[in-house]
Amino acid sequence: MNYSKSSFFTQLGILTKRLLLRLARRPLAELPNIFISAFFLLVYDGALGGVFGGNAAGTPFDFANGNFLNFILPVSIVSASVSGGASGIYLVEDIESGVFKRYQGMPISKWAIILAPIVVGAVRVLLQATLIMTLGSIIGADPATGFLGYFAVLGMAFFWGMGFAGYSVAAGVRSGSSQGAQAATFLFFPALFLAPTFTPRYALKGWLETAAAFNPTTYVLEGMRAIMIEGWVSDLILKGFLVAGGFAFITLSFAVISAKTATEKS
Amino acid sequence: MLLAVEAKNLKKTFKTKQGNVEAVRDVSFKVNKGEIFGILGPNGAGKSTTILMLTTLLRITSGTAKINDLDVVKNDSEVRNKIGIALQDTGIDNLLTARELFYTTARLWGLSKSKSKDRTKEMLNLVGLTEAADRRVKTYSGGMKRRLDLGLSLVHKPEVLFLDEPTTGLDPGSRRVLWDEIKKLRDEGVTIILTTQYLEEADELANRISIIDEGLVVAEGTPDELKSSIGGDVITLTFRSDDDAIKAQTIIENSDIEDKQIRVTVENGAEKIPNLLNLLVSKDINVQSVSANKPSLDDVFLKVTGYRLEGEKTLIEESK
Ligand SMILES: Nc1ncnc2c1ncn2[C@@H]1O[C@H](COP(=O)(O)OP(=O)(O)O)[C@@H](O)[C@H]1O
Ligand SMILES: [Mg+2]
Repeated sequence: MNYSKSSFFTQLGILTKRLLLRLARRPLAELPNIFISAFFLLVYDGALGGVFGGNAAGTPFDFANGNFLNFILPVSIVSASVSGGASGIYLVEDIESGVFKRYQGMPISKWAIILAPIVVGAVRVLLQATLIMTLGSIIGADPATGFLGYFAVLGMAFFWGMGFAGYSVAAGVRSGSSQGAQAATFLFFPALFLAPTFTPRYALKGWLETAAAFNPTTYVLEGMRAIMIEGWVSDLILKGFLVAGGFAFITLSFAVISAKTATEKS
Repeated sequence: MLLAVEAKNLKKTFKTKQGNVEAVRDVSFKVNKGEIFGILGPNGAGKSTTILMLTTLLRITSGTAKINDLDVVKNDSEVRNKIGIALQDTGIDNLLTARELFYTTARLWGLSKSKSKDRTKEMLNLVGLTEAADRRVKTYSGGMKRRLDLGLSLVHKPEVLFLDEPTTGLDPGSRRVLWDEIKKLRDEGVTIILTTQYLEEADELANRISIIDEGLVVAEGTPDELKSSIGGDVITLTFRSDDDAIKAQTIIENSDIEDKQIRVTVENGAEKIPNLLNLLVSKDINVQSVSANKPSLDDVFLKVTGYRLEGEKTLIEESK
């Protein structure tokens, strides 16, 4: 029988749908990350909101402009966007199980095979970040930029999450194991805490302030906070987008290069 | 053009950190259209590596291979359209159902949505998974998974089918079901290349067999040709103790020993048995039992490799 080859987008669509089905069939795998992110939000707000929030305007602690939730919500969103790191795990699972080899024997573009888990990673980031923002909004977050501000934050979270997706794909294919891909997301912890996580940068001790200046997470947090607290302050927001977008660009390019070597025949 | 597969001096060297591994040293064979060709060999013989090279999934170190006159390196995508592949390490998505997998596979092969649905039904029926179609593959038995795997390799109606150890690890019942399925496919005109560690399987299914060991072809022919290449009968003598067997082996020329048994190939078993028994009795060695048989593939394997194929033992044990 002669079959017309399916188009690239058909292939991408089919492969993405398959991964989404897998995601839907093990919903428990989504829980830890969303739980940690929600937990951060509630606990940090509970512990620190009293000091840094409230009506402390005019005191040394007025950086949150009276609503600490607006300040701490970006931390949870950044944490939620790490769920993009699942992309690498999906890809390596398919390599380990032999599904990848099966696809190599079919007339499918290898780029569709590599892109599908990244698309699903993106879906995950958007879902988790939206859930966290909804939770934040319910308990009292209130962006200075209005409702539109949430979309700007979501956009930044998306790029940041894609950065983790690219990173995990590269680490996963290079190590050839899902543990390798999983380990990649550990990078997230120092990244999240060597940053102005709980207070603005100027309040950090010298060494941490220096570390934070080199940590891209800092600029993403500051960008999101500008949206939440100050309004459309162009330079901080732009910096946030540039850093998140740059991170995504670099790791995704790295992922493409790694995946290319991995899919070559041995 | 009557050849479905032509492999010429295939060689594969893996470069690893521990040095080079010559997985396939020199493998050549021809497969006629419409036949089942068996590649028989123990674990590590190079069967899977050979299959991966023939199916375009592994780079060939040297040598050439053609499928339906198409070069597997130069015309790899055309080759992939013509062949079906069921690899040894079945890559099946455990979280999906057989119906979803058939549908997805059909779509990826370029069938429209409605044609994919029809093909899915057809395939489920063909491999006997209609009832289990909407259960996740995770819940399937080993035999069901192999049947599913076979079915997935057939979705695009390949002309040449490669099956790498399709029944390894299955119970005798499930093995039978797959054997029948494979024969049915041949009767429909599909050329099948299958690898196996089981002599019985090669004997039952293959029109022709290539025995490979340590990356080399050590014998080739139809099962009957291979058996008659040994000629005569195989006499098996069983003793009460290993010691007796060892003593007997030193007396009987050209005999092979295995535990309490020795085997010797002779031109005419019926004539030779009394002589052998007399000889042993004269040396005070007690024989527990004696039998003469036409040579089996087992004997062929022993002759060409110098050892017995382990897989067969496990097969015998399993089928008890
Ligand atoms: N990717 C690989 N890298 C290194 N050695 C390999 C690789 N694949 C197979 N081998 C080695 O090549 C030999 C043949 O393997 P294989 O073709 O899988 O044998 P079979 O399928 O007959 O059991 C074995 O010694 C095996 O360890
Ligand atoms: Mg093998």
